[in-house]
Amino acid sequence: MATVERSHGNNLGSMSLTAVKYAVVIFGALVMIAPFLWMMNASLMTSAEIVRQPPVLLSAEPQFQNYPLLLDVLPFPQLYLNSLIITGGTVLGVLFTSSVAGFAFAKYEFPGKNVLFYLILATMMIPFFITLIPVFYIIRQLSWINSFQGIIIPGIFSAYGIFLMRQFIMTIPDELMDAARIDGASEPLIYARIILPLIRPALATLGTFTFIGSWNSFLWPLLVINDRDMMTVPLGLNSLRLFAAEAVNLNLLMAGTVLSVLPTLLIFVFLQRYFIRGIALTGLKG
Amino acid sequence: MNNTRALAGRISESAPPRSHLHRQRMIWAYIFVSIPIIGLLVFSLIPILFSGWVSLHEWNMLSPVGEMPWVGLENYIYLLTQDNVFRQALVNTFVFVIGGVASNVVLGLGLALLLNSKLRGQSLWRVLYFLPVVTAPLALGVIFAFIFNRNYGLINSILVGIGIPRQPFLSSPYQALFVIILMAIYQYVGYYIVIFVAGLQGIPQDYYDAASVDGANAWQRFWRITLPLLKPVMLFVVVTNTIGGLQVFDLVFSSTAGGPVNSTQTIVLHMYNTAFKFSRMGRASAMAFILFGIILVITIIQLRVLRDRTERS
Repeated sequence: MATVERSHGNNLGSMSLTAVKYAVVIFGALVMIAPFLWMMNASLMTSAEIVRQPPVLLSAEPQFQNYPLLLDVLPFPQLYLNSLIITGGTVLGVLFTSSVAGFAFAKYEFPGKNVLFYLILATMMIPFFITLIPVFYIIRQLSWINSFQGIIIPGIFSAYGIFLMRQFIMTIPDELMDAARIDGASEPLIYARIILPLIRPALATLGTFTFIGSWNSFLWPLLVINDRDMMTVPLGLNSLRLFAAEAVNLNLLMAGTVLSVLPTLLIFVFLQRYFIRGIALTGLKG
Repeated sequence: MNNTRALAGRISESAPPRSHLHRQRMIWAYIFVSIPIIGLLVFSLIPILFSGWVSLHEWNMLSPVGEMPWVGLENYIYLLTQDNVFRQALVNTFVFVIGGVASNVVLGLGLALLLNSKLRGQSLWRVLYFLPVVTAPLALGVIFAFIFNRNYGLINSILVGIGIPRQPFLSSPYQALFVIILMAIYQYVGYYIVIFVAGLQGIPQDYYDAASVDGANAWQRFWRITLPLLKPVMLFVVVTNTIGGLQVFDLVFSSTAGGPVNSTQTIVLHMYNTAFKFSRMGRASAMAFILFGIILVITIIQLRVLRDRTERS
């Protein structure tokens, strides 16, 4: 009898514990999405409603025209296009240089291989800020200021990407390559026809990471791009932020922020499994 | 050495096609690795040397590289003894890193433990907590500046609602840095959660079962099994995020730009201003090297700790 009662008590206890756990997790999740919701909500208000005290929770009438108004101030289609070109170029570049070098390090023997590999690993230690001034100088000497390649080219060499690809390609059996060689395939053909299709999941992981990083990057484009027509989305948001310093334009600032964060949020929601896996992978490898 | 070379020569003589193939493969391997090697040389290794060279000179980037006046260690001495803004930036950056990383480890591990304890909807929670990680720090800075605004911010509305007076937050030299730390926590806690969940899932269930049989309660299981086995993950998280935190720029640039009165000035922000607003490339490069030194020391400490751990076990 006593044992029954106690187990009953434990059940109640563990049920309330579970309830507390859910409460904490749900509260945390609300805190995480609240700024996004508040931003979206404010993007549909008038500026007067945004600054009114006590605060207005919902606009009397959703101000959808904020978005067309915003497009008059800041050409978002152009910003998207610029960011897409830069991000697309960077992603393709990183995937190519990383996979081709990772392939060589994983599947070939050549003198100096280890030295070169450690050299590449060593560059992982070099933080961006220490190369900022020299690389800016190089870009300027190349007359690449105000050009997309000035942003793309310095960003397509990734030591981390090479390492990731090497680890992944090492798991591919040599027999596949040997069979192709017997059929007369050249080495670039083996890379293109055998290796690339087999490392698609790793490419997806590296690609997603690179996409988000490149899309969100701000400091380097800020230095390289001065031309309004070439601005990326973060640069556009930055100019909008300065434009909307007065409370009058807060609604436009919030609409612009919504349009800025939407692409990466969508990419993440659709490709999250590659993203999460990549993070878990690097986290545990350390 | 000579013998092996002679042997190799003999083999290649006796089997020319194979050696030819071998050499061809080697050439391709060199071509494959040369692309990123050249890139990393041009955009990483040579720049770091050049940056070190510049840090010993005075340079505004307009005069030719060959004509930079040599100043020796003057830039370093100036930064360490006279530049009050740099000192302030160092202190701020350290406070930012310590506060941010510590809170994130506690919150991240705590939430990871919760999510890992058979709660339903794990992937939904993970997505929600992860949204800020993929959001541009610049945009988060804008959103937080809006939410923490002194006059119309959401946080102040809530405070007033529960009877607490309005706070200046980002416009106060005493509060701004803490709001920046909150931003960093908000942005990265989801990342910590994912890493910790992966780490927790790597701990074999057998250990917990055995400990339960021996009568260990949940608290003891956490301290005796979870935490020690999570140590490598914990170290990875702490060190990579310390390194990341020391380089904070976007978050601050878009919310306070280092103000008020330098209370949120960070090292990279000060470096950026020194280089690209005031054209003092030498001094900015010296700043970069000091920060690089700090990062190296922290990494070495991490390696020490890791080595100690493996030696003991």
